Amino acid sequence: MDWEIADLDDKFSVDLTEREGKVTISSVSVNGIADECPEIRISQVGKNPTIILETENGSRPAHVMKIDGKWWIHLEGEVYVVNEVEKGGKSSESAGGLSAPMPGTILEVMVKEGQRVREGQPLMTMEAMKMEHRIISPKSGEVISVNFNKGDRVDMGSTLVELGD
Amino acid sequence: MFPEWMEGAPTPFSSVLVANRGEIAVRVIMAVKEAGLRAIAVYSDSDSNALHVEMADDAVHLTGNSLTENYLNSEAIILAAKSSGAQAIHPGYGFLSERADFARDVANAGIIWIGPSPEAIETMGDKISARSRMIESGVPVIPGDEIAIPEGSDHMGALASVAARVGYPLLLKASAGGGGKGMRVVHEPKMLRTEYEAAAREASAAFGDGTVYVERLLTGARHIEIQVLADKHGNCIHLNERDCSLQRRHQKVIEEAPSTAVSNDLRKSMGESAVMAAMAVDYIGAGTVELLLSPNGQYYFLEMNTRLQVEHPVTEMITGVDLVQKQLEIASGMTLGISQDSVGINGHSIEARIYAEDAKRGFLPSIGTLGVWIPPSGPGIRLDSGVRQGDQVTVDFDPMLAKLIVHAPDRKSAIRRMDNALSSFVALGVTTNIGFLRNALLHPSFTSGSITTDFLDSTPINEFDPKYTDPKIIVSIAASAKRLGLDKLANTLSSSDMDDHSGHSGDPFRTLSRRFP
Repeated sequence: MDWEIADLDDKFSVDLTEREGKVTISSVSVNGIADECPEIRISQVGKNPTIILETENGSRPAHVMKIDGKWWIHLEGEVYVVNEVEKGGKSSESAGGLSAPMPGTILEVMVKEGQRVREGQPLMTMEAMKMEHRIISPKSGEVISVNFNKGDRVDMGSTLVELGD
Repeated sequence: MFPEWMEGAPTPFSSVLVANRGEIAVRVIMAVKEAGLRAIAVYSDSDSNALHVEMADDAVHLTGNSLTENYLNSEAIILAAKSSGAQAIHPGYGFLSERADFARDVANAGIIWIGPSPEAIETMGDKISARSRMIESGVPVIPGDEIAIPEGSDHMGALASVAARVGYPLLLKASAGGGGKGMRVVHEPKMLRTEYEAAAREASAAFGDGTVYVERLLTGARHIEIQVLADKHGNCIHLNERDCSLQRRHQKVIEEAPSTAVSNDLRKSMGESAVMAAMAVDYIGAGTVELLLSPNGQYYFLEMNTRLQVEHPVTEMITGVDLVQKQLEIASGMTLGISQDSVGINGHSIEARIYAEDAKRGFLPSIGTLGVWIPPSGPGIRLDSGVRQGDQVTVDFDPMLAKLIVHAPDRKSAIRRMDNALSSFVALGVTTNIGFLRNALLHPSFTSGSITTDFLDSTPINEFDPKYTDPKIIVSIAASAKRLGLDKLANTLSSSDMDDHSGHSGDPFRTLSRRFP
């Protein structure tokens, strides 16, 4: 099993050993290359979603829970979302597709199939949670397909526009 | 029948229907119960398991899936009050709180309205009449103009000439808007059409009114607002200022009291203007006069919010006055019981609004299951929350989950207290702005007390980037948690579990669609 952190491109794999509820990390590799690994020991606190993390900088608590299929971690005031991925598997983010960030309604479609767009150009506007959001092109390229029309309801994650190079 | 404190009141009551949801409904319901009154909640389908319903003594279901059918349906709410025997209605903020016709209908139905008169709401709710009333009363106003736009007419010519008269940069506001919705900044004439259309759409989606107000945008200003309290006997006082300059797109993010920009003399002057503004409409109850303080020390009337404000707790912390209790006392016809001279400032208070939104993705609202919700606690820490662990966060309502409020002897220690409280606030399953709040709080511009209303919008987002832990440690935690079997604990949540109403098999910690991890 590999691991991915939301918003990071790297893939990680972790080797560990467990004895009596205490886990010791033996190595972590990044994108298939074993990396220098700090000394890490992790143990659970009771039956709670709380663990104690021990590193060379001392020990601190963290909160961990698997929610809706993802690992959510709270450590020192920051939250991280970690995904399990099949070894060598493809990233869950589809390349070039622009997906709806949340469920809502398409208000306006500003581009057509075959059109060239520049980075930062608005492609669509959608309304969700009573607010208007602009879907912005993340790169320059050609619009391969426009999958929704004005007035359409879209689900979270629906691919709105596909972009080519 | 009536609680002891209400003895001798001209218009006593023993029960209050709270016509709202979320954290403010919870806040008001708790105050109503503490006052010894019966609290009645209302709720829509998707709120049937909400915290405010759990807290109330009674709850009335409002049918229909849209806001106009439930929380904005004045007829249904008055009917709910009658059927549940409620003798008074508290509107909270938002929804029907500033609808004069609703206040009138409530009174006509023989129910006590916990708020100002319909006339005061009307005058202050309409920006033109509010302005002219303020000018008459000697309260300074910002240059601006309103334009009535009939549906479907060609209005751009008229709008452009008004805009040219007011001057750029300007602010387009839907007359019936609020809370940042239906409000757009226009820097130059060529952007007028695009921004107007966006503002009009947002306003009609949220409030059912498309009229637009054009106002000169003052740059480098601070948003200072004055809390006022007035009883039915002509007494009116102010409870000092709140500084709400930390805003993103006109949506307040962090508020504090007192303001670093307000000297004792300025406070006295602003307070007197606010009391003048309130008296000009024979105001009753708790209200807020919003002022813009320009860099040269001049201040201008922005608007008056004729209701309780989201950020009212910071005023409660520094003055020791429970504003909701005062609202109840005033509605029962009692006198204020506080003189202007007895209102002091004790220490410093800061409020941070906890939103389900993702700062890394342009502050898009986020949804999911609140699998872990462990708020901070300790001396000087208060949480006004509308949610609890196990709740679903959906797109149905405003993404504000809770407000974290701290109180400390001075501003520096209040910032430290807030920083510590935010970093120990564990909310997992839904992306929140907690990390962003902390980085905004600790930004040198905020800690030095010198920010203006354009600070968040004009500061690159990466200045609020958190200090991330080594990703190798993060994946190690995830892999260890999996090895330790944390994903097999009964507290593992998924939304498919939550949506499944068919059976409760195998899970004793479950009621309807809610689970208690």
